[in-house]
Amino acid sequence: MDGLDPLILARIQFAANISFHILFPTITIALGWALLGFKLAYNRTKDEAWMDAYRLWVKVFALSFAMGVVSGITMSFQFGTNWPGYMEKVGNVAGPLLAYEVLTAFFLEAVFLGIMLFGFSRVPNWVHTLATLLVAGGTTLSAFWIIVLNSWMQTPVGYEIRDGVVHATDWWAIIFNPSMPYRLTHMLIASALTVAFLIAGMSAWRWLKDGGGEGVRRTLKAAVYAAALLIPVQIFVGDMHGLNTLEHQPQKIAAMEANWETRSHVPLVLFAIPDEKARTNHLEVAVPSGASLILKHEAAGVVPGLNDYPGNHPPVGPLFWGFRVMVGIGVLMLALSWLAAWTIRRRGVDAMPRWLARALVAMTFSGWVATLAGWYVTEIGRQPWLVTGVLKTADAVGPVGSAMVASSLTLYLAVYAVLLTAYIAVLYRLARLGKAAPEGKPMFPLPGVAEGPAEPQSEAPA
Amino acid sequence: MTPFIDPWWLPVIFAGLMGLSILLYVILDGYDLGVGMLTRLEKDENRDLMVASIGPFWDANETWLVLGIGLLLVAFPVAHGLILTQLYLPVVLMLIALILRGVSFEFRAKAAPEHKQRWDHAFFAGSLLTALCQGYMLGAYVLGFDQSFAAVLFCLLAALGLVAGYVFVGACWLIYKVEGDLQKRAVRWAEVSLWATALAMAIISIATPLLSQRIFDRWFRLPEIIALLPIPIAAATLFVGLAIFLRRPLRARDELSWVPLATAGILFALGFVGIAYSFYPYLIADRLDIWQAAASPESLSIILIGALFVLPVILGYSILSHWIFRGKATHLSYE
Repeated sequence: MDGLDPLILARIQFAANISFHILFPTITIALGWALLGFKLAYNRTKDEAWMDAYRLWVKVFALSFAMGVVSGITMSFQFGTNWPGYMEKVGNVAGPLLAYEVLTAFFLEAVFLGIMLFGFSRVPNWVHTLATLLVAGGTTLSAFWIIVLNSWMQTPVGYEIRDGVVHATDWWAIIFNPSMPYRLTHMLIASALTVAFLIAGMSAWRWLKDGGGEGVRRTLKAAVYAAALLIPVQIFVGDMHGLNTLEHQPQKIAAMEANWETRSHVPLVLFAIPDEKARTNHLEVAVPSGASLILKHEAAGVVPGLNDYPGNHPPVGPLFWGFRVMVGIGVLMLALSWLAAWTIRRRGVDAMPRWLARALVAMTFSGWVATLAGWYVTEIGRQPWLVTGVLKTADAVGPVGSAMVASSLTLYLAVYAVLLTAYIAVLYRLARLGKAAPEGKPMFPLPGVAEGPAEPQSEAPA
Repeated sequence: MTPFIDPWWLPVIFAGLMGLSILLYVILDGYDLGVGMLTRLEKDENRDLMVASIGPFWDANETWLVLGIGLLLVAFPVAHGLILTQLYLPVVLMLIALILRGVSFEFRAKAAPEHKQRWDHAFFAGSLLTALCQGYMLGAYVLGFDQSFAAVLFCLLAALGLVAGYVFVGACWLIYKVEGDLQKRAVRWAEVSLWATALAMAIISIATPLLSQRIFDRWFRLPEIIALLPIPIAAATLFVGLAIFLRRPLRARDELSWVPLATAGILFALGFVGIAYSFYPYLIADRLDIWQAAASPESLSIILIGALFVLPVILGYSILSHWIFRGKATHLSYE
């Protein structure tokens, strides 16, 4: 193995871990708000169907939260095991931001999650609603701190370097760094869309199986409407985010568009095989002046090209394709959610054609794919830098050898594959059993509450 | 932002908070890891009851580890990198074990019944591997990451020692939380693991000063030795006293069933104080002290504000949940 291997392997390992981890916060961030929506709808209507929906999805929340916590623990160790140079160099900025993220998450878990999960019959209704609100707000706040740190790594400001180490000079500037508002908004809506399609997909699956109940129809309708409303907003926000990136990280945009030369009338490349050695695209299919129009809002707009950044731009292929996967799914989401919303509005859920429901089922986890693709674009797009202009990825990696990293990577991948399979299987099991539970008596317990006298249960206690 | 207290104190405060987190972790997650390992000895009903006895707590217990390692990461970034690259393999294995254990907890109740046994296996294996890895890391840390054959042997001994320690505190937890035959068996498990734990603590206590002249001087020097003598004497007394206590039948209403658990907690704390005294102010023996490893005072004071706000809440919650779910464990249900 040559000298580069440990770096590449460490990068793949970190990517694998953070990719696995982000799946679960992506769900919990927006699912918290969805649960609050179900709860408020129940408070207003006193309709048990909303509480059925709440009871089902709060279990998904609990499971996703647990998966997020255990995979998050791995992340906090990996900074040290694989990337010791990172905290050594920028620890003074990253430390407090990470600390606030962890403290926020714990604060939540410690105080409000228990009430939200197990407290419905133990505390007054308004306290339970408040706990749901605080958990939703808390997961969002947790996401805020992490996005702040990530955005600061993309567009660092408010610091100075003394003795080779970064020191914070202006926390206000660090927190509200140039790319933060765009990335945060884009991610929060991505989470909302992921959850909307998850709820729509699982409800449609249940509806196809046996019609589900009133709760299933309610959630299906709410999720489809939410998706139909949010997807145009997301496309708009994504465009703004792109323009912001063009301003601060032009080489990232150049790689996403596979544009080699700085010029006007840059075409929008729909398909191509970018060739970094020859520095050109093969088999290019493009809309003339399209990229100039999107990025500069005029056909003659000059868009920077990769050849302006020799040796200092990210790899082109992953960005080009990652971006197209994300946008492609976005377009599919737009088409499907509008079609479904229009059908449901005109004819009601039960008159929905079965193929449409099947299409929703097929898109159940589409939000995950789009979110991951988007993160790959933005994270690989920062390379070769770990913190733009401050710290190169290659300078942060630890002294651990290839063989060691390769074995740990294999272990992680194996465990993650098993867990992801089990997670999805349990999600479908929950969806299947959800409505079979007698009113107010969930089928199986969550860990967290012991209460006597226990009634005999076929299902094991957790 | 300027620090609001003397910058010299900030690393000391953070070392204290980190130490407290780690000690609480070792005691709290120690008992639920111990119970996890002991589940292998029981079946069906009893196994479910054992898992139920730690159900409301294990998640919060584990947060102390994240807090401890998180404080190391944000307050002593240099030490975090140095320590964790040295401990790469045991850390990876421990993380995998923690993941397995954490999710099997959820899955063994939520997955299809025919898969339950598989998650039970994962739960046991995860608990055991976590304890082994942590013990190995403790050994490696005490030895300053020496890689020689003798050192690895010592680390393996420490791994077994911590398994014994966790089983010990886990058995004490069960004495407190269960009744009847299961409680009687827990007493027997505690009797056996008590001596293994005492032996492991003795070996580490003797090895540490022999390996470092500085640590030797800290302990065996007048007048310190007089002030320090109560620590080993108290530990020995507690071990013997508890052994005698366990021989006697618990009273019918077992009002004293909390005594073994409390004793085990004090023993762990004594061991911890011993190690902390040997090492302070070094984070890595004789190489890196807390001031060299600390982040800048400005950053530390910002973290401190958040920590002072949140730590009491977590501590309070931990106490509250143990209070709410006090008494004998019952099978879990929720609503």
